[in-house]
Formats: sequence, C-alpha cells, structure tokens
Amino acid sequence: MAPLKGALGRALLRLFAVQGSYNYERMLGVGVGVAEEPLLRDLADGKYRPAVARGAHFFNSHPYLTGLAVGAAARAEHDGAPPDQIERLREALCGPLGSLGDRLVWAGWLPLLSGLTIAAIALGAGWFAVAGFLIVYNIGHVALRWWALNAGWTYGARVSVALHSPMLQKALALLGPAMAFAVGFALPLAARFLAVPFPRWGQLAAVVTAGLVFLALRWRSDRLNGLRMALGLSAVALVVGLIWQ
Amino acid sequence: MSLALYRIDDRLIHGQVVVGWGQPLHVSFIVLVDDEVSSSDWEQDLYRMGVPPQIEVIFASVDQAAQLFSTWQTDERVGILLVGDIDTAVALAARVPQVRRFNVGGVHHRTGRKERLRFVYLTDDEAAKLRDLAARGVDVTAQDVPTARAVPIGEFT
Amino acid sequence: MILPIEVLIALLVWGTLVGVDLVSLPQMMIARPLVAGTVAGAILGDIPTGLRLGVVFELLQYDILPVGAVRYPEYGPATVAAVATAHAAPGGEVLGLGLGALVGLVTALVGGVTINGLRRLNSRIVHAAAATLESGDPGALVRVHVGGLLRDGLRAALVTSVGLVLAWLARPLLAGALAVRDGRPALLLAAVVVAAGLAAGAAGTLRLVGTGPNLKWFAAGLGGGLLVAVWLR
Repeated sequence: MAPLKGALGRALLRLFAVQGSYNYERMLGVGVGVAEEPLLRDLADGKYRPAVARGAHFFNSHPYLTGLAVGAAARAEHDGAPPDQIERLREALCGPLGSLGDRLVWAGWLPLLSGLTIAAIALGAGWFAVAGFLIVYNIGHVALRWWALNAGWTYGARVSVALHSPMLQKALALLGPAMAFAVGFALPLAARFLAVPFPRWGQLAAVVTAGLVFLALRWRSDRLNGLRMALGLSAVALVVGLIWQ
Repeated sequence: MSLALYRIDDRLIHGQVVVGWGQPLHVSFIVLVDDEVSSSDWEQDLYRMGVPPQIEVIFASVDQAAQLFSTWQTDERVGILLVGDIDTAVALAARVPQVRRFNVGGVHHRTGRKERLRFVYLTDDEAAKLRDLAARGVDVTAQDVPTARAVPIGEFT
Repeated sequence: MILPIEVLIALLVWGTLVGVDLVSLPQMMIARPLVAGTVAGAILGDIPTGLRLGVVFELLQYDILPVGAVRYPEYGPATVAAVATAHAAPGGEVLGLGLGALVGLVTALVGGVTINGLRRLNSRIVHAAAATLESGDPGALVRVHVGGLLRDGLRAALVTSVGLVLAWLARPLLAGALAVRDGRPALLLAAVVVAAGLAAGAAGTLRLVGTGPNLKWFAAGLGGGLLVAVWLR
C-alpha cells in the first residue's frame, strides 16, 4: 500500500524532533503523534482524529528507532486494526525498540566513533577527526531513522519481521566488541594527550588520582558519578591551592 | 546464584533492564511473567529481539511461574524476573512465598494514575496494593537504574 | 575575559544549538563535547584549546548511562563555556585547562538541573492539555509539541549564558590565586580534572561493556593504546 505522497518524508523530518516535548507523563508520546500525523491524513473522517489521539499516547523508546513504531502504528490504522490492538502494539514496541537502540547506538555506534575520534585527536589529527566523526556518525544516524520508518510502514503489525534483518543482527554483534576495543584504545592516548603539558609530579598526581577515582566510582556507583567526583576534587584542589599561596 | 532482581516495569524488556541492570549483575537469563505475553507469539518474538543472544528469555504465566520458580531459583546462572504491572506482582508474591522483594522500575502514566516519582505513576488502588505487599514483608523499593538511589516504599505511595 | 561582541554572540548561538541538539533536535551529536568544544575553539580562533577541553568533557560524558528517564549533567553548552574560559588564559594551557574545566563542570550541573525542570514543566503542560490531545486535534498537538521545542531553545540559551558569565567571572576571581608559586595550584586543579575524566571514562565504559566477552576486547584495546602511548614518548 502506498502512503500519501510525501507523507513518509514529512514524517521522517518530524521524527528528528520526536523528543522536542520530552516529559515524564507521556515521554516521547506527543512527538510520536506529531510525526505520525502526516501518515494518517488519508484516513476516513471518523478515523483520522482518534488515530491522531492514539498516536500521542505515552511512548518511550530510542529516538532513532521510534520511526518503526510510527510507521507500524500508521500502517495498522490503515489496515483497520482494532484500537486496543494498536495500543497493544505501541506498548509492546517501547521496550524492545529501546533496548535495541540503546545497544546499537548509545552503547555501540556512538562510543565506538567517539573513542576512535579521541584516539585520532590524541595522535594529532586535529579538527579533521571531529569533522570525520560528525559525517560518519550521521550517515549511520540518518540511515537508521529512514530504515526504521520504512520498515515500520512496510510491515505494520508484523514489525518483528523487520527486526530479524540479518544486517541489524550483524551490526549488533560487531558493535559491542568494536566499541569496547576503541574506547579501551582511546583511554591511554587521551591520558597522554591531556597530561603532556604537565611536569612529572603533575602527571603522577593525575595517574594516581585517576586510579583512586575509578575505584571510588566502581565502589559507590549509586552515590558517586563523574561530575560529582570532578567537582569535589576541584574544590579540594582550589582550597589546597589557595592555602598554598 | 538464581534470581538477582525482581522488577515491576511496564516496558518489560528495554535498555534499562538489558544494559542498565543486565551488565553489572552479569545476567544470563530473564524471566518475563505476564499472562498476556505468555500466550502471544508476536509479542514474545518482539521482546526476544531486545535481548542479546547470550541472554535467554523465558516467558511464563503466573501459574507457570509458580510451578517453575524453584528451577529458576536453583539455576546456577544469574537471572532477572520481570512483571509488567502491580497485579501480576501481587499475584506472584501470593503464589510464591520465596519472592521477598520487588523493585519498582517503571510504571508509566495512564488515565487515573498520579505521579509518585518521575518514573512511577500509580492509581490510589495500585499504591494501596504495593503498601499491602510491603506490609506482608516484601521489600518494595523504587529504582530505575542501578546508579540511582533505591527509594523506600514510604516515600512514593 | 574581553571578547568582541560578535564572538560572544556566535558562542551563545552555538551553545544554544548544542543544547537543543542533545535531546530535542536533531540529535546529530553536535552536543558531544568533542564537537561542541572544537567548534567553540574555531569561533575563538583557538582550536587546540577546543580539542583539549572537548576530550576532557567527552570522557566525563561516558559516565552517563543514557538509558531511560535518568537525570544527567549536560556537557555540551558546558564545554562551550569551558573553552571560552580557557582560551588565552594568562597562565598558559595548564591554567586554562583547570579553570575551563571548573567553569564547565558547574555549567554542566546547571544544565542538568534545567533539563529536569523543563521535563517537569512539560509534564504539567501535557497533563493540562490532556483533553485537547484526546480529541485528536492535530493543530493543538503540534502547538503543544512546538511549545516544548521552543522552551528547550530558551533553556539552552539560558544555560549557555550562565556558562559565559561564569567564564567572564572566573578569570579575575580565580586566575590570580591559581597562578601563584609557578602555577602549582592551577596544575593541581588541571591534574584532578583530567584524572576525574579518565576515571569516569573508564568506569562508564566498563558499565556498558559488562563482564562478558567484550571485556576482553576492552582489555585488548587498553593494552594497544598503552603500547602506542609508550612508543610515542
């Protein structure tokens, strides 16, 4: 079934802002409704508004993969699926899409490229590395958003077929190890890059402190985080520095 | 080792569960207790997609869970038990006295539910059921991810 | 810090774009400190400073587990403010690193608080609009959504402004005290900030890596990185 002319493109553009009204009550729901609306415009009069209202109900998932739910729900509306079944479909998609997206992007593609970029900067690549990061990252980003929306629209309520795509599975299997290696590789190089201007005792202080902070973060991950540790240590360093004079 | 986490989360399997809890707890299997999902093939297929291949997912109704609980408890791997709503949690705790704690990980907004925490929305009835559960000796706390504080039941019901 | 007005405006606009990118639009990762810092450096004509602070805050960002409704600091506009602080610091790059990181950390904290505040405000607005949303009126739906987007733009501009004011204040207030005794206090500050970044980067990554087979890959990468770092000395 062909979507309304231009509707998929419009939905894709709107999906880039799907988290624009992020809130704890409906999470991404309102943004999902806004993105789905162009795909619903050719529904019969009595069906359009209830479908738009359903589209804006609670939704939470990975933003890049949310198009899958948008496409699938819109397709199911066109196929005349009963309302409670569409609600059930949307709810069932939240968790799995969130989990897939987190593993694919937040714990895969993003830290992989970020680690490689840090390593490249540390090895002297300069802003070229950052430009490369933006370009390569976003090729994957936009492709994923487009694939998700299309797959959702194509498969409707049978979206799990799309998720079985061998390419997606292969990407998941490769990204975990690749990310782990890249960030591991980047860390010593980042340490060297940042500590080069320090004299010996400063380098030593940085390494010892890093070890202690790492242990502290592992020990009390419920209370401590990087920001708190960094702020606390900075305050201590400031006080020590001021007394020193 | 057995079940390390008993969680109430209406998104069931998602990133917080798989990445957030699964990694630090070294989870090898997830038990998803839900009467509807346990009889729906397409939903089971979806939830399985959200989990890396090295983690096994077991779907069970409350009845099946009551029968199989001891086998999960004696499993030498580490597992997580998930339910999607308060009623299932209450039913399970009533059938299986070994369930001594529940982590409220996420119950989202729906008509009639009031905000208790930014990730917990409950009707008054659901809040009462949770308090009831706690009064019967089950340790009920709210915590979305392991790096957050476990909020005791008194602070959110 | 006396910056030409057009540079200040460019930093403010950039910080705002960066702040909006994080959650709202279009999530193309200009909000990552690596990008936010490098471009801020380019605006100031000082890319090396942008890269250095970009790397520090990028490492700190690894500490954030970006899953679910977790509260987190916002490092994008913070990195812009940090680079503005560090640019041409009187005591050289070490003082700049320490002072810039300090301003950035405080700004990141402020940014995180405003994100949570905005989400609460949005919740109230969406809650109040429930009846209109349930009617399925597309105009009302778009209005609620665009309102959220605009508020996030305002929020990002506000956070960037706070960061730039802190940058402007930090130099006269702290630079002198940190530069005494050959700048040893500044070095101490820079060293602990770098240390916190490295530790947060390692701890955060390990949380994602877990103890499965990927841990071996992490160890292999770490070993390789160490070899290269030693070989370069």
